[in-house]
Amino acid sequence: MNARMSIVQLSGLKKYFDSVRAVDGVDLAIDQGEFLVILGPSGCGKTTLMRMIAGLEKPTAGHIEIGGEDVTDLPPRKRGVSMVFQSYALYPHMNVFNNIAFPLRAQRRELKFDKRAIRERVESTARVLEIDMLLDRRPRQLSGGQRQRVAIARAMVTQPAVLLLDEPLSNLDAKLRANARDELKDFQRSSNITAIFVTHDQIEAMGLGDRIVVMSEGKIQQIGSPQSIYDDPANEFVATFLGSPSMNILSADRFRFGFRPEHFLPKTLHDNPENSRIFHYFVKRVEYLGSDRLVYGYVHGHDNDLTLAKVPSNVRVSLDIESDYEFAVHNRDIKFFDNVSGQRIEQQSLAQAK
Amino acid sequence: MARLSYPLDNRRFVGMMFLTPALLYILLLVGFPFLLAIAFGFSDVTVGNTDLNFVGFQNYLAVWENDIFRQVFETTIRFTLISQVFILIFANILAVIFTQNFTGKWFARFIFILPWATPVSLAMIGWLWMLDTKYSPIDYLLLQTGFLGPNGILSNNRNLFWLATPDLSQISVIFVQVWRMTPLATVILMAGLSSIPTDILDQAEVDGSRFMRTLLQIKLPLILPIMVIALLFSMITMFGDMTVVYVLTRGGPVDYTRVLGLYSFQVGIEGGNLAQGAAISLFAFPLLLAMAIFMLRTASRAEVQ
Repeated sequence: MNARMSIVQLSGLKKYFDSVRAVDGVDLAIDQGEFLVILGPSGCGKTTLMRMIAGLEKPTAGHIEIGGEDVTDLPPRKRGVSMVFQSYALYPHMNVFNNIAFPLRAQRRELKFDKRAIRERVESTARVLEIDMLLDRRPRQLSGGQRQRVAIARAMVTQPAVLLLDEPLSNLDAKLRANARDELKDFQRSSNITAIFVTHDQIEAMGLGDRIVVMSEGKIQQIGSPQSIYDDPANEFVATFLGSPSMNILSADRFRFGFRPEHFLPKTLHDNPENSRIFHYFVKRVEYLGSDRLVYGYVHGHDNDLTLAKVPSNVRVSLDIESDYEFAVHNRDIKFFDNVSGQRIEQQSLAQAK
Repeated sequence: MARLSYPLDNRRFVGMMFLTPALLYILLLVGFPFLLAIAFGFSDVTVGNTDLNFVGFQNYLAVWENDIFRQVFETTIRFTLISQVFILIFANILAVIFTQNFTGKWFARFIFILPWATPVSLAMIGWLWMLDTKYSPIDYLLLQTGFLGPNGILSNNRNLFWLATPDLSQISVIFVQVWRMTPLATVILMAGLSSIPTDILDQAEVDGSRFMRTLLQIKLPLILPIMVIALLFSMITMFGDMTVVYVLTRGGPVDYTRVLGLYSFQVGIEGGNLAQGAAISLFAFPLLLAMAIFMLRTASRAEVQ
């Protein structure tokens, strides 16, 4: 049993829209104070999963527990969750103060807040998010970053057990986004709130998540720390979804195997080539990307699988196009996958079968 | 870049092409009659003598000093204002109902839009029968349930005379107007309600807001500009309408349901005094213009995004 208490527990959760299986049997335990990222391509069911936790969508089957209580049939206001939408969904006709105060007023009966307590709570929450000088403004008078803070303040003002975030950074421009990511993580750490963050952006997921849940076609593909998911993918989907450029996948007789472009380097750069597998590599094209050179080519015997190599610019090897080279991958960096199911196969079991 | 010689690449030409039908419509069917009415209003033209002799404000002064006109003007404003209150209330309630999910919504919407889709005169003939002095089905039902007839709760009479007593005739006309105009206002409000982003409504739900709070603090404020437009539409339509009273009461009993549109028609066309008929109808113009400007300003000021 985990030393930390799990605050959200999903079991056998399903949501079908007619014939579409948006979420197809999800079991997941989320720890108190954890920053959990749900990562997946669009249409993988991640947003539907979050909406079910929020109570906006009724599950077709399965159970949701929050704080040890079964909330599957409870409306959102009785779940102790709050949510930040991708669009921020600020109430455009209310100023910032009234936006942040709205959940307190709506839940006045449950929270037992009088007028003065509401004012104090709104002001203190606004101070934490450094928007206390904007309380009289309307949403349309705010910048993207300010809107995002207002949305987070409104979500935090009731001090919920769980904060749900649906791609809240995707409306910010690239420069602001890195900054906002940093602040969001700091804020979550210091407030020790449990955050569930949905995104399709793997950099965001890797940077923010204590754990990442990779989803595809309504199912959880893998749960783990950013590093374990990247280094030790459970199946071919996870292996190719994470990483840019994505993992090279080559077909063999009874299985497929893959390696990441940054592990695929000229043989001379490997310390002990006896631990590595050597490939004859035909270089077709080289892109110079500043810190790296991205090499496009084909491995001998795999003429249909375009294979990429990412060679750091600071290693002085010359790579000419339309030429053959010997490249190598360290054995530990080669992952094997089942031909049919795409699941990871251990190298030993593969050797035994041979 | 070289100037292109194809006429469809010429923005001015294409612009004119798109504008022309609307311009023609406005000039021929709105602008011309309007200018003609102004010309008539300042002349002594009649059906018998179509020469336009300028007589200044004589017609307007005569109309203004006419007691019947003043009563008609007052009745028109009263009818319009009272019915708008009910139209707004009903349209809001119905728009909220019709934007919920329930089985048979499509059919309910279809039935409900019918009053507006039916030609006015045809619908009024239906109401003429419903409100008939002798054969009204409403009276019949009231009679059967003991509200009418000997020892009846409402009256000892067998009929209520919907269109023949001063109070009931006015109530009947206002009721029929509300019946006729509510669908349009509802449709406009429904469009407004369904244009509210679902994120906002989902957010309100997660924030813990219940039905009434979401309605009063989120939905209604957000559709306020659209509500003003709906109100403006139905006010202007109703202020100038003559068909309803023309078919139902001809302005009677006495002058109790005589409205501006009908009075202008009766004086100008039926009475043959085109000049005075035009002057009567033009009295509505400055009032409606001021109202339209005020309401459109309010709407654009309330515009939130």
